[in-house]
Amino acid sequence: MRKVVAPDYTVFEHVKRHVEAVKTAIREAIIPESVTCSYPKERRKMPASFRGYLIFDPDRCISCFGCAFICPANAIRMKEAEDGRYYPTIDYGKCIFCHFCLDSCPEGALKPTKIHDVAYRDLDRMLTLTEEMIEPPEIIREDKRYVEYVIDGRDLHLRRVDGEDELLVDLPPPSKVERIASCIDPESCTGCRICEEVCEHGVIRSSVEEDGVRMVIDSERCTGCGLCVKECSMRVLRLVRR
Amino acid sequence: MNDEKNRNIDILRTGPFSWLKRWSARWSLWPCHFVTSCCGVELAHASGCGYDMERLGTLTMGISRQTNTIIVEGTITRKMARALRIVWEQMPDPKFVNVIGACGQRGGIFWNSYHITHPHTIVPVDFFVPGCPVTPEALIRGVRALQKKIEGEDRDTIRFKKANLQFKERKKNMPPTSPKLLAPTPLIRNDIPGGVGWEDGDELVEMVRSRLKGLTASITVTDERRITIRTREDEIKEIAKRLSEIGFDHVKSVNLVDVPHEKKLILEYVISGYSKSLMPILITLTADIRGKYDLPGLSDIWQSADYTERELQDLFGVRFEGNSWNEIFMLAPDTPQSPLRKSFRLEEEEYILKDGVPLTPHIDPPSDLNAPLPSGVLEEVEEMGEYLVLVGPHHTGSGHMRWIMRLDGDIITEIIPDPGYVHRSMEKIAESRLYIQNIPLFERLCIVDPVNMNLGYVRAIERALKVDVPERAAYIRTMMAELSRIGCFIYDAGIFSLFMGHSTGFMYLWAIREMLLETFLRITGSRCSPSFILPGGVRRDVGDDLLDLIGNLTTAILPRFKKFEDIFVRNPVLLARVKGVGVLSRDEAVRYGIVGPFLRASGVEYDIRKIEPYDAYDSLGWEMITADDGDSLVRFLVRLEEMRESLGIVSQCVDVLKGMRKGDVISEEILGDYQEGSRDIRGSLYRVYGNLVLPRGEWTVLTEAARGTLLFSIMSDGESNVPYRVRVITPSWMNLRGLIEAARGERMADFWAIYGSFGYFPPEADR
Amino acid sequence: MTGTVEALINLMMADQVAIPLLDPILNILYGIPLLGHLLALILWKPLFAALICPGFATLGGLLMLLPWIERKLVARIQWRIGPHEILPQMGGVIQLLADSLRFLFQEVIVHRDAKQPYFLQFPVLSFIPALLPLLFIPAGTIIAIESPYGAQIVLAMVTLFPLFILGLGWASNSRFAYIGTVREAFVYFGYEIALIVSAFAMIVLYGTSDPLAISGMQQVPGIILNPVAALAFFIASAMATSRLPFEIPEADQELAGGPHVEYSGILFGLIYVISYEKVYILSGLMTLLFLGGGSGPEIRVLGDLSGLIWFILKTLLVMIALIALRAIYPRYRLDQALRIGWNPVFTLSTIAVGVSLMEVLLL
Repeated sequence: MRKVVAPDYTVFEHVKRHVEAVKTAIREAIIPESVTCSYPKERRKMPASFRGYLIFDPDRCISCFGCAFICPANAIRMKEAEDGRYYPTIDYGKCIFCHFCLDSCPEGALKPTKIHDVAYRDLDRMLTLTEEMIEPPEIIREDKRYVEYVIDGRDLHLRRVDGEDELLVDLPPPSKVERIASCIDPESCTGCRICEEVCEHGVIRSSVEEDGVRMVIDSERCTGCGLCVKECSMRVLRLVRR
Repeated sequence: MNDEKNRNIDILRTGPFSWLKRWSARWSLWPCHFVTSCCGVELAHASGCGYDMERLGTLTMGISRQTNTIIVEGTITRKMARALRIVWEQMPDPKFVNVIGACGQRGGIFWNSYHITHPHTIVPVDFFVPGCPVTPEALIRGVRALQKKIEGEDRDTIRFKKANLQFKERKKNMPPTSPKLLAPTPLIRNDIPGGVGWEDGDELVEMVRSRLKGLTASITVTDERRITIRTREDEIKEIAKRLSEIGFDHVKSVNLVDVPHEKKLILEYVISGYSKSLMPILITLTADIRGKYDLPGLSDIWQSADYTERELQDLFGVRFEGNSWNEIFMLAPDTPQSPLRKSFRLEEEEYILKDGVPLTPHIDPPSDLNAPLPSGVLEEVEEMGEYLVLVGPHHTGSGHMRWIMRLDGDIITEIIPDPGYVHRSMEKIAESRLYIQNIPLFERLCIVDPVNMNLGYVRAIERALKVDVPERAAYIRTMMAELSRIGCFIYDAGIFSLFMGHSTGFMYLWAIREMLLETFLRITGSRCSPSFILPGGVRRDVGDDLLDLIGNLTTAILPRFKKFEDIFVRNPVLLARVKGVGVLSRDEAVRYGIVGPFLRASGVEYDIRKIEPYDAYDSLGWEMITADDGDSLVRFLVRLEEMRESLGIVSQCVDVLKGMRKGDVISEEILGDYQEGSRDIRGSLYRVYGNLVLPRGEWTVLTEAARGTLLFSIMSDGESNVPYRVRVITPSWMNLRGLIEAARGERMADFWAIYGSFGYFPPEADR
Repeated sequence: MTGTVEALINLMMADQVAIPLLDPILNILYGIPLLGHLLALILWKPLFAALICPGFATLGGLLMLLPWIERKLVARIQWRIGPHEILPQMGGVIQLLADSLRFLFQEVIVHRDAKQPYFLQFPVLSFIPALLPLLFIPAGTIIAIESPYGAQIVLAMVTLFPLFILGLGWASNSRFAYIGTVREAFVYFGYEIALIVSAFAMIVLYGTSDPLAISGMQQVPGIILNPVAALAFFIASAMATSRLPFEIPEADQELAGGPHVEYSGILFGLIYVISYEKVYILSGLMTLLFLGGGSGPEIRVLGDLSGLIWFILKTLLVMIALIALRAIYPRYRLDQALRIGWNPVFTLSTIAVGVSLMEVLLL
């Protein structure tokens, strides 16, 4: 434990402190240590981990709803596409850029960009539909160079590099273990067929047998989106390793 | 609204000299100093030396009359909405409004809060800038867009390209239902025996038991150093008296839990003591209240409970006996009655985008602009020959709050706080979100100290689940928490120097903060809202290159900080201003419930990191800083010294982390089935955490945030994946009372010396 | 009739601003009727002083430049850039032009509770004490009104200033304006005597209060003869012009601008520049009393303008010193400022009088 004691200046120290303050100001006026980034003429280089606007790859999407369910701001809503599957849309009027959606996407269908400096004149346009998220958007850029913040052990330096900074980030999809849905306790199945209804890929089929309804999961085509697992009221479905 | 918007731009476009009007307006967009919520921090960064908005002629200026732009920084609560409209009307034409941050657009993370409004229904808005909080660059982009608009080019700065979706198959599906699991009749208990003990624990319980002999009190040890005393409503006061005699000298939290299906309210007082033997012990004094809304108040025994009781009166529509306040305190006059009762339901999430379903619920703007004063104040002031000054919420030195100052000449006789201008109803919102979704929510309690806020909540979950954090994650957390603490101090010191009229000090610190935020950006991808700490670990590992950067940072900020010290801290003018101002003695500090460094500045040796160490704190070498004077100067100096200690902790963490095996950053218990692949959470966040269910009971966890003790108390019914009740007591909220008392009897200008030294942050207090 | 005009012109020609460099051109121009007369009129020393320098035009130019210098200098000390993008080639020097034009074109709000005609009158009226002192301050040898009591008159006018600020605050009829006004009045009591006494010390030293004589007498600048008086005068000037650390009446973080909290549009524009006018006048006075006025190595070809340029340069230096205080100091509290005004600064100025007396008696 350490105690702080309030200083008490003598007249001499008073004068000395005044001189010190004035000296600091004069020194900075002569040799300033400016740290200003002249946005919009130059842009700060953001790291690859930057959380900005998202782009979307429909081919990777398995419509698992993970992004919509995790979104703390309810900014992501799934929109039914013509093929009956659901794809995400993002309302940037709500999005808080936490990228929980990106971290929840098991297939890497959502990809980050470094786009963040955007102004809309209309609230309605802040809703970005699925088809608008596929290509990277075009923004007004006035930057002719970018600034890198270099922190060495002594100070912060601004390193200016001519040219435009690339705003797209190449993020490999997360490494993962392939999973599929599987019924672990077929005896308890009530045959409500919710899983069949909810399956977006049509891999769960039901057939009426003598002893009731029997469900079959096409394990080849199952994407492991887990919606059937979530909806099963008897909790007889599980995601298991392929 | 559109008419008003067009009228303002038409003034510039028509009439003689219209080109001159446009040119001058374009290069002289002065935003007025009207901080509405957390994005104000990024506004400060945009005008600070990192981005320096003044380059574009955009100078943040004091008051509405002399400015022509409002930058709405985030959430507009129903209370603030009135101020927003008034400020807008006070401003001379032509005037413009930019809204930054998601909260001001469709509500952002607070979209279904009961206390927010949409700014575009209150004032005409020219541009919306997305982000939460927005980056300074985005903010400046908004200003640029406004300049372009004045020039004549009015457009969005982003254009999306429509791609064709390729379809493979056709099948209509049923959309899935909500991910929330809710128990229909949740069973709520706060005295479930934890089956744990600790050194001296049994003795303490015995001692308490003997003191409470003859009273109805069932004493349960719910967790390590957590005791619950259940009693009857009519005896709670007597028990409180006896406990206060033992040495339980302050209240850490007052809580109410509504259990409608059992027709009861659970009243809880969380109390503790600052004497050495009682330090980490928390006693929850609880009683069930049935069928009435007049509750036994304990603010005459513990004054530290006063403001918290007032707040609960608003939120639950109850009355605490013995509390002198019986008017509205936190909420706007037109918010729903008793919103925290379970009978008041928030809008549910929609997961499917459908035509006709609005993206956000409709909210009526406030009908009248009157922000009432407490009744009788005006008359009383007149009688005493004093006068009243209302400082804020639109004031350069008020923060997001209104201070009703009673002045006798230049002397403050009393300050009546009027909080709630940034009350975003986090506790209510948390009751309707998944446990994991509340992480970004609670981070926004205090955007300048996000990691500690985050950590407080996550630790409560971990305590309930009894999971341990991998060692590497613990060090990363400690390091991040300390960086956040430094950032928070730098912020507060910057605001302090601004309050003292010293803009250079502010700018010097903002350069340092820019370095810190750059570090946060590289580690987490976000400047101010990392959302980095997850139950059981952290979101990403921190690589060696980042560790080098952090190590460099700890030494790189020192030369610049030295200049700040030369020009501000050691400046004799500052010394004259803050020494001996706003003195709180040890007793007063304890009585008013001050926490954190400000309590330590009054001589109480209390730091959660020392007395109940978490993460890696007990394996690192650092010292607790205290002082005896209890005035504004030492409150500031204690935090300054703590910053040096924090830098030491960070560099120790960096050293340890460099020598440690990489990758293991989330507890295996939490990951369960998903632990192979990478140990990173990427790809499985929802699957791992979506169905997190806490065991039944209540978990109260203390964390040392930058400004003091942060209390999170989570109540779970054991079946739902959303919390039943979350109680947050932030350090700023606890410090409010002390601030008010410290200012009593000082000169008017001293108020800012005291305010600044407390680092008081209204969003953190209002929750 | 023509005789009178002739006589007037002769009078003016006798007292023209002499610029040897431009003589050939001027001689041609004098020959042109009307234009020549006009030129003679403008270059007539008293009128030149009032209209061009140190009077109206210089004042106007400085008012446009000074806030820019302040913002740029403070920004430089604060590791920033300051106004820039409006004219990147010249560091945004016309920033103040945009700001003032914006104020000009903005709505002027007279709020319901304002004391009406006065609310509008005071910002305009306050230009009187701002302009009048300039007539008595010489730029080199150019002065509008020669008076043996010039220094006293300037001081008297300068101390008139706060009255108008009080007027502003009173007419605003707002709580913050009221507090700011009261603070202004208090600070006024704090600095006034010290300011006058320290100037008095110099008058004692020089034995005259004729501005021209004073600047002529300073072979050794006054600041070296009596540094104590210079220090006291500088601190009192900082208080008089509400520069930090004495920016107490305006105190943005406390009173949100104090007396001018309710003013908008061009009225605020006027008030905004008035404080800079005060800086200019007091810096001019300081230059006159302590820095030798327009004296300096004479540039022969410029004739009278040489002294003028030296005067402006020195004044600018003092102004920058006053302005730079903003980047160095926090703000004192009202009672502390009063104590400083009455205690150390007043003592300093009294000592300064003593020093002057000693020097006069000994030398």
